[in-house]
Amino acid sequence: MGNWERLVWNQRDALIAGFTVTVEVCVIAFLAAIVGGLVLCLVRLYVAPLRPIAIVLIEFFRDTPIFVQLMWVSYVWPELFGFPSSFFSAGWIALGLQSSGYLAETFRTGIEGVPRGQREAAFSAGMSPAQTFSRIVMPQVVLATAPSIVNQFTVIVKSSTLVSVITVPDLMSQSQRLVNIWYEPIEILTTTAAIYILFVFLVSTAGKLLSDYLRRRYGLAAYF
Amino acid sequence: MSNSLKQALDLSLFWEYRAILLQGLVVNALVFLCAALLALSAGLGAALLRVNRFFPTRLIGTLHVELFRNAPDYIMLVWVHFVLPLLIGIMIKRRVEFHPFVSAVIALGLVYSGYFAETFRAGIEAIPRGNLDAARGFGMSERLILWRIMLPQVVRRMLPEALNQFVSLFKATTIVSLIAVPDLMYAVSMVTQQEMRPLPLYTGAALTYFLIILIFATGVRAFSERWRRKILE
Repeated sequence: MGNWERLVWNQRDALIAGFTVTVEVCVIAFLAAIVGGLVLCLVRLYVAPLRPIAIVLIEFFRDTPIFVQLMWVSYVWPELFGFPSSFFSAGWIALGLQSSGYLAETFRTGIEGVPRGQREAAFSAGMSPAQTFSRIVMPQVVLATAPSIVNQFTVIVKSSTLVSVITVPDLMSQSQRLVNIWYEPIEILTTTAAIYILFVFLVSTAGKLLSDYLRRRYGLAAYF
Repeated sequence: MSNSLKQALDLSLFWEYRAILLQGLVVNALVFLCAALLALSAGLGAALLRVNRFFPTRLIGTLHVELFRNAPDYIMLVWVHFVLPLLIGIMIKRRVEFHPFVSAVIALGLVYSGYFAETFRAGIEAIPRGNLDAARGFGMSERLILWRIMLPQVVRRMLPEALNQFVSLFKATTIVSLIAVPDLMYAVSMVTQQEMRPLPLYTGAALTYFLIILIFATGVRAFSERWRRKILE
């Protein structure tokens, strides 16, 4: 057990610092993905002239491997668009792009799942389209899609291990740095793997509990 | 801006290296095929453990699924490549090293076996209990029941979902370059170091993968749609 103490316990500050960065990247990417996904979805559904662009973007984000997107954003975007200026932002932008594609489709299924009659009823009750959307459609969409939104966070956490490749000091990159100091990978990499697995497990269990709760409380089937 | 945009869209550099890049893509396909075979067989095994009546077997199956489904691909790849050989080496008291290709196949195969196990299990549990009882009543052996009664129904029901997982597995093969398996991304990064022009190369790689996966995924979606309608009849 001496090895575990020397290699893992005594290095806990580095691992905790790395984990904090991982959580930061994931949370920022997650928020960006929700906003981006909602925008893409609304453009696809309601802004007819821009619909083809939205569809191409959604498909591109969904169908390009995350590692390829990460390299593309961090090495091509700075020359092409002049940003992102740091690898940290390249990391969350790439993670956010991928998930915004998936979430756009999730939101779309949610919005299309709201019966048309409700919208017509709201309209004849004198609600404006904006009111109908924010008071009738969105609450149902959020409830129905909440489990898959949580699930998308686990996808982001899993993909976030790759930001270590572009030198973002996340948990993965901290543990690889420690491995490169002593060349004793067994303890450190096993601990790192365990932390990631536990974290993803906790998030996905929370998602499952949430979807059970929503189903019981509001009688909504989580249809994804 | 317009100059760099022109550069990004000028894929002639990408085309110039097509031979090396195509070789890389073949490596991607090979990793994908081997990992898919491993994932399917390990996934089926884990699913059968999970539907077993015996509790400890069920527990092993559940552990397998939870462990691999929740593990990020990249940490598994690194763990299998750097830790697993050492552990095996300690056990058999000899120095063991994995070829990067082998590590890639094992890691991706194991991770995706977790997903496939869940797919298989859902398919097995959807089989009406009477089917199995009837087969046992006829005196079919468990192995025969698996091949003739269970698997055909599982495959029919679960094909669309399994195909989606194959698409994800193919996407995941792009990370094998990180342990120096010479796939397309590896070739791209090598050429980039020589030419110092990441713009056309990474854009080309992104477009190549995008087109392949788009065609693959669109085909899967169209196929699943038709398949579901056929099954429902």
